[in-house]
Amino acid sequence: MKNRLKVLRAERDWTQAQLADALDVSRQTINAIETGKFDPSLQLAFRAARLFTLRIEEVFHDPELDLTEDRSADAKTAMGG
Amino acid sequence: MDQRKPPGNGYQSRTRTNVIRLFRWTGAWAAATLLMALGPGLIWNKDLLVTLLAIGLDVAVGAGMVLANKRYVEELDELQKKVQLNSMGITLGVGLIAGVPLAVMDAYHVIPFHADIAYLLVLMSLTFGASNLYGTRRYR
Repeated sequence: MKNRLKVLRAERDWTQAQLADALDVSRQTINAIETGKFDPSLQLAFRAARLFTLRIEEVFHDPELDLTEDRSADAKTAMGG
Repeated sequence: MDQRKPPGNGYQSRTRTNVIRLFRWTGAWAAATLLMALGPGLIWNKDLLVTLLAIGLDVAVGAGMVLANKRYVEELDELQKKVQLNSMGITLGVGLIAGVPLAVMDAYHVIPFHADIAYLLVLMSLTFGASNLYGTRRYR
């Protein structure tokens, strides 16, 4: 799972500790999410999106899902649809 | 650009409070266990009633420690819970894998010493500490 937490945090000039406190988690958890070592639960992902006032897919996205969508689009094109 | 500090929920201070509570209960349990183990011989000359009271105190303080640990784990965030769960799973496994052969070796005199439960407790404590450290470093 990819995410834009680091970018969104930097845009607001927030530290990892501040973001962690706002999301009610440890700083270590924020770091693990930002570096892609840990995927948050749906509940925590929604909490993060709400904090940044964005939709969840604007904060988190699954590269596998992009590939699946690309394949479906290619299949439709091949079928002339 | 929104540079205001986001509203906090006090996770760090809550966890610190829970750790201090757990540390106090663990210290009290260790003291109660020491009293229960050494008291009959050294303090109250094997008086049965006092020994039973010491055992009751140890169990009661132990229950307090378990509840403090439960609260500590419940209030951790999802990553910390995962690290704790992994450590507990590994510790339980090592305890079982080492405990049963140790008892069998003692029963058939394969080892030249009595397989005291304290050996298992030390092994489980070291395993929990090591796996917790590994888990914490892994997600650093």
